[in-house]
Amino acid sequence: MEKERFEKVRKHVRSEAALEAGDVLNKIKDNFPDNPEGMNYFYDLLSRQFSEGILPKNGKKVIGTMCVQVPDELILAVDAIPIRVCSGSFPYDNAGAEFMPAKTCSMIKAIMGLFSVENYQKKFDMLVIPTTCDQKKKTTEMLTDMGYETYSLSLPSRKDNDNSRHYWQNSVKEFAADLMKKTGKKITTSNIKKAIDLKNNARYEFRRFFNLRKKSPSVIYGKDAFLVANAYFVDEVESWTSALKNLNDELEKRVNKNFSIVNQKTPRFLFTGSPPIFPNMKIPLLVEEAGGLIAVDEVCSSSRLLYDMPAYDEGALYDMIPAIADCYLKPCTCPCFVPNEERKDKLANLIDLFNIDGVIYQSFSGCQLYEMEQKLIGNFLMEKGIPMLYIESDYSKEDTGQLSTRIEAFIESIKIKKKSDLKGKRATK
Amino acid sequence: MNKFKKYINNVNISRFRFWFQIFAFIIMVYGGFLSIDIGENLPTFSCPYIDKGGGTCFLMGLQHRFTLPIDQLISFRGLAVLTSVLFFVSWFIFFNKAWCGYICPLGTLQDWFTKLRQKIGIRYSNYSEAKFKKLKKIKYILLGLLILIPIFMANSIPFIGKLSHDWAVPFCMICPGRTVLPLFQGDASQLVIDYGSKTKMIFTVLGMAITGMFFAGAFFKKRFFCFFCPMSALQFIFKKLGFLRLIKDGTKCTKCGDCYRACDMGIREIADDIESKDIIKDDCMMCFKCVAACPEEKCLKVNFLGKTIYEATEEGFYKRQKGKK
Amino acid sequence: MKYFAGIDIGSTSIKIVITDEAEKIIAHSVNATGANFHKNSMAAFNSLLDKENIKRDDIVYIASTGYGRKLLKEADETISEITANAVGARKTVTGGKVKTVINIGGQDLKGISLDEDGNCGNFVMNDKCAAGTGRFLEMVARTLETEVGNLSNLHFSLKGVPAVINSTCTVFAESEIISLLANGHSHEGIVVGVHYSIAKRIARLIKRIGVEDIIFFDGGPAMNKGLVEAVENELMRELFIPEIPQITTAYGAALIAKEAYEEEAVHA
Repeated sequence: MEKERFEKVRKHVRSEAALEAGDVLNKIKDNFPDNPEGMNYFYDLLSRQFSEGILPKNGKKVIGTMCVQVPDELILAVDAIPIRVCSGSFPYDNAGAEFMPAKTCSMIKAIMGLFSVENYQKKFDMLVIPTTCDQKKKTTEMLTDMGYETYSLSLPSRKDNDNSRHYWQNSVKEFAADLMKKTGKKITTSNIKKAIDLKNNARYEFRRFFNLRKKSPSVIYGKDAFLVANAYFVDEVESWTSALKNLNDELEKRVNKNFSIVNQKTPRFLFTGSPPIFPNMKIPLLVEEAGGLIAVDEVCSSSRLLYDMPAYDEGALYDMIPAIADCYLKPCTCPCFVPNEERKDKLANLIDLFNIDGVIYQSFSGCQLYEMEQKLIGNFLMEKGIPMLYIESDYSKEDTGQLSTRIEAFIESIKIKKKSDLKGKRATK
Repeated sequence: MNKFKKYINNVNISRFRFWFQIFAFIIMVYGGFLSIDIGENLPTFSCPYIDKGGGTCFLMGLQHRFTLPIDQLISFRGLAVLTSVLFFVSWFIFFNKAWCGYICPLGTLQDWFTKLRQKIGIRYSNYSEAKFKKLKKIKYILLGLLILIPIFMANSIPFIGKLSHDWAVPFCMICPGRTVLPLFQGDASQLVIDYGSKTKMIFTVLGMAITGMFFAGAFFKKRFFCFFCPMSALQFIFKKLGFLRLIKDGTKCTKCGDCYRACDMGIREIADDIESKDIIKDDCMMCFKCVAACPEEKCLKVNFLGKTIYEATEEGFYKRQKGKK
Repeated sequence: MKYFAGIDIGSTSIKIVITDEAEKIIAHSVNATGANFHKNSMAAFNSLLDKENIKRDDIVYIASTGYGRKLLKEADETISEITANAVGARKTVTGGKVKTVINIGGQDLKGISLDEDGNCGNFVMNDKCAAGTGRFLEMVARTLETEVGNLSNLHFSLKGVPAVINSTCTVFAESEIISLLANGHSHEGIVVGVHYSIAKRIARLIKRIGVEDIIFFDGGPAMNKGLVEAVENELMRELFIPEIPQITTAYGAALIAKEAYEEEAVHA
């Protein structure tokens, strides 16, 4: 009886999730002109994720990860497949809401909903969760309770001193050892070198993509850029890299032909805060449908994902593993770190590099860290004279009306500012 | 021009440095055989104890020149000290601290030890931050002593009187350059303990002990001796005059720490200081491994007289990492 | 003659303002939104034109604003009510600079802060919930079996102490009012209590963007003098209330229509 009910719930949630994904994807494709050909790979992949599921069937071990701090290289080195399981699906969020505290953030609820509705116990050999925010930490225990094999990867709260650096290096070393035990495969200099190179190739293409987005007026919408990074969550690194290479080549042609998707007047935004994860593209889509452009972002589901590169000095495990560890800790701008001054520096740098007119700051309701850091970032940006729109929202669509008014008003105010700046420039000439 | 620049920025600087160091080592240690004599007052350990070396280390002359009574030191004879410093500085400003990273034979020797350790596959060791802060002061103390002791040899101190002549060139007596470098010409005569007097004996024993530590230290710790080197401290005083500069653009820095990882001297500021433009610290030997390890476009730069000759690029970083064995 | 129209399609009423080239309001109207806002707004627009004897062709540019703005196909431009409200408020006040705008609409509360140039700097809105809005006042009036227009009279005729209303949530406040009535509280006391509970909510919202004089207060509920007094007391500042508080946003839209028209003329 209970089992039957469960089956029914699963079927229902799955179909709802597929419906939602299809709907968002259609909006992404149909409501915008000039989608690059190269995006089709990513559109297809994400639609398949929700219609068929994309868990690999090649017999390799599958390691689920949450948060950007999990060093994939180690997982790749033991020939397992890393899949980032952070979910942006509202039906799963709803399913999680059934048993999670009301003030939990949508992403956590969606992850918990996913793992409670789907019987993934046998499909994931391990779920690796760094000790980032409190909610992620407790998620680990709850998942263990649900019969999943979990691994809590211990992350320090500080990143600015040597103690925490060594602490994290040791955590990662321990993780490497446990991974070897779990998979029965040894991490060697040659397979870790291969894994680093594999991921660095992805990072290199990602940086190229990042640099192509600097072009103003832009050659690609932010909504597409989010999808590209989201696809990395679930795709195999090699095929993802070559798909992105194709897209980059196409965008490069656009740059060379001086072709752009928007005009000089379009306000350029920097998106920061809680991560938009497909299909939760609510805010980015509202912004771009209202005539704004997300030129760049500073979120862990996109720009933070593949930007930082490790550099090892000596080609031996004793140097390579700490080098990998360092690259996930020191430059990371996750608000779970104290102090997190680097986030301000990074935003300031991005504002300059990408010619940014305004900042959109999204915070999931219940994500205290982003909510609180909003004030600090807001003050910092105010001093710099960059307007910021703070939006607190979740995965539900019910606030779309109000949000679109706020977003449009924000875009209008920036257009007016741009216009008067232009007039001022003319007057001084 | 752009192509050439790109080629330079993609270059594997470690390999370039490896060959340059060999070249410099030959000149400094075997220069006499090739009738090369670069001169005195060199800002590097071109040790005068090497029979046929290619030049002379400034520190030895400095210790001799300070062996003067105070009244003479502040009169015209003091001018000799000043002119020697002038010569030293004019040598120094060309390469700035790159004298350490590219030319110093004792530094090169330590790098060879590091290479050997890597080949064997033994882990390097490092100082903790607190220890690092303490150790880096030693070189200034040594620099102070190597000037004060000669002065006390020529001037009487209350209660003790003048120091005897056995205190001559005190730093050379404990410098591993004196004992080690002549070995490359097959000369082991410095590896002895001088029983001539108590002072001499203490100095030579100390010298032997430090030599032993030098070998062991350099094997496990990259550039072990350089933390204590008074030459490095002396150079640092004049770093503002250097033509060759290491420049950082803090706004581009993400504090990823890749440069800090690459740094043989373990200088933390290279990663964490985003305010200073001129990022050369007293321990820096200007090997520019940090520039090669920086993944941020134009964040770290090497300038010569204001012109950028080498800089960090994404492409260069990627190629170098990929090319690693 | 060239005229410009601003049509503000709100959740409760449709406000229309027509201005001339000198930016003077020459006609305005306020009508209920009803169920079909497209039909009703066009009907209201046409009847206003008829009444004022303005030819449709003389209206050279229409800007729509408010929740229904995107559904009005006849509009040449749509603009968010926040921008329109700011522009309208800036123009309405002649003797100084408006720095803060408080607007209570049928279903929302808004606070806008304007910068030195009168452009919209920061703004806040209540999300998802109609607590403390015009709808809320309507519910209060209905529960007390009176008209919304009468709330102000009740406010000022209070003798004695006001009731304390804790909730601005339409659902909870209703039951709170019913139980206060059952406990023998006067209608006047309850109305004052309601006004203060709304005023507190507004003050809390507005403080997020910073309050600076001149404070402009508009929207239908701004006609309620009792509520105005409560807000003034809560903020401890004086408010500027326009002559017709409902139409500022529509006026702002008409001004934007004129500007957009002139800009197009330059480019054409």
